[in-house]
Amino acid sequence: MTETVKTTKSLDVCGKICPYPDMDTMTTLKKMNKGEILEVLLDYPLSVERIPRNLKKQGHRLISVEQLGGPNHRLLIEAHGLK
Amino acid sequence: MTIAILSGLLVGILFGFALQRGRFCMNSAIRDTILLQDTTLLKGVFVAILVAMFGFGVMALGGLIKFSPTPLFWGANLVGGIVFGVGMVLAGGCASGITYRVGEGMVGALSALIGLATAGTLTAMGFLAPIKNALQTNTKIMVGEANPTLANIFGLPTDVVAIILAIVLAIVWFVIARKNREDSEPTSGSMVTRIFKKGWTWLPAGIVIGLINMLAFYLSTLAGRSYPLAITSGWIGIVKVIFAVPDSKLGWDAFLVIGIIVGAFIAAMIASEFKIRWPGWKMVVQTLIGGLLMGFGAVTSAGCNVTHILSGLPQLGLGSLLGAISIVIGAWLAAYVIFVRRQKA
Repeated sequence: MTETVKTTKSLDVCGKICPYPDMDTMTTLKKMNKGEILEVLLDYPLSVERIPRNLKKQGHRLISVEQLGGPNHRLLIEAHGLK
Repeated sequence: MTIAILSGLLVGILFGFALQRGRFCMNSAIRDTILLQDTTLLKGVFVAILVAMFGFGVMALGGLIKFSPTPLFWGANLVGGIVFGVGMVLAGGCASGITYRVGEGMVGALSALIGLATAGTLTAMGFLAPIKNALQTNTKIMVGEANPTLANIFGLPTDVVAIILAIVLAIVWFVIARKNREDSEPTSGSMVTRIFKKGWTWLPAGIVIGLINMLAFYLSTLAGRSYPLAITSGWIGIVKVIFAVPDSKLGWDAFLVIGIIVGAFIAAMIASEFKIRWPGWKMVVQTLIGGLLMGFGAVTSAGCNVTHILSGLPQLGLGSLLGAISIVIGAWLAAYVIFVRRQKA
């Protein structure tokens, strides 16, 4: 399923401490156009659960959460286009 | 005696396991309310407080424990709490949060912890002690011979009031939640998957941590310590032993904090969430500074987030209430300056 989605931008927040994974993701999404896809690579368990929870409030849409092995995850998010 | 002290290790392992599974960080809980408008973790903290409030009350009535609220010294509670709150936002975790994250392999949490232990010790017995002493002695208020609580200032028994207050607050919350039709979070997978593989949702996490705190209070009383969960004092105890301070030895609370790291490590390994995470030098310096502020704040205020919020509020201590409010003020101030303002710019 994830193969069919074309990502516009990729963001790697592995290793970052709380709450930078969330903040960086939200700030990046804010700067993107409607319909563009952001790929987020992260390894912080709290943010893997928290980012999907809080996306909706900004109007963004979660496409998928993929576990890449261990704590490493890949999120695909469609930007709402607040720019 | 040794067995009693080793019970601290057991409670620590349980606590660390629950913290890691519940992602139970009070820095996130407090900060996220203004940063992400996310109250999920905060609800878990409230549950843990209410469970402990009711449980401590019942245990005290049954003679298993004796309430031991923290002292009220308003100047020290206020200054220490605010400094601690600012510090934990910089550190990226509260005192329990940075402890359990060391077990997850986060290097930033380790540097914060070193800061907490160092500044905590220097404030307890080093060159920062005069500041703490001046703040504490000049603003101390007592009710007779006792530390003031929400109950004893009116001449009421604290344990009975705690039980009643916990029930009333739980009912009020339940009614409000039902009125707002709050959705419960969806759960899936088998029981084993939900306990060991997935993050716990706020309600079970809060209940389990409240129950662990009850166990902590009982076992630490048997060990002659008589206080529920706490973090900073344990780390200070370990620093003292490392630097061979005369008459220092590892107490119940030192085994507790070591246990937290072990428990979180076990939980992270089972869920395949352990990974050495390096946040970069800039972050390591920031978390170290955060930890230093936390150490000074916790010892000055006579409590970190665990002592004041998880263990102190259930005992209705006014010192803990003021300490808790000050931690929230400090955390919100720092979160606003560091994150919210930057986001708007």
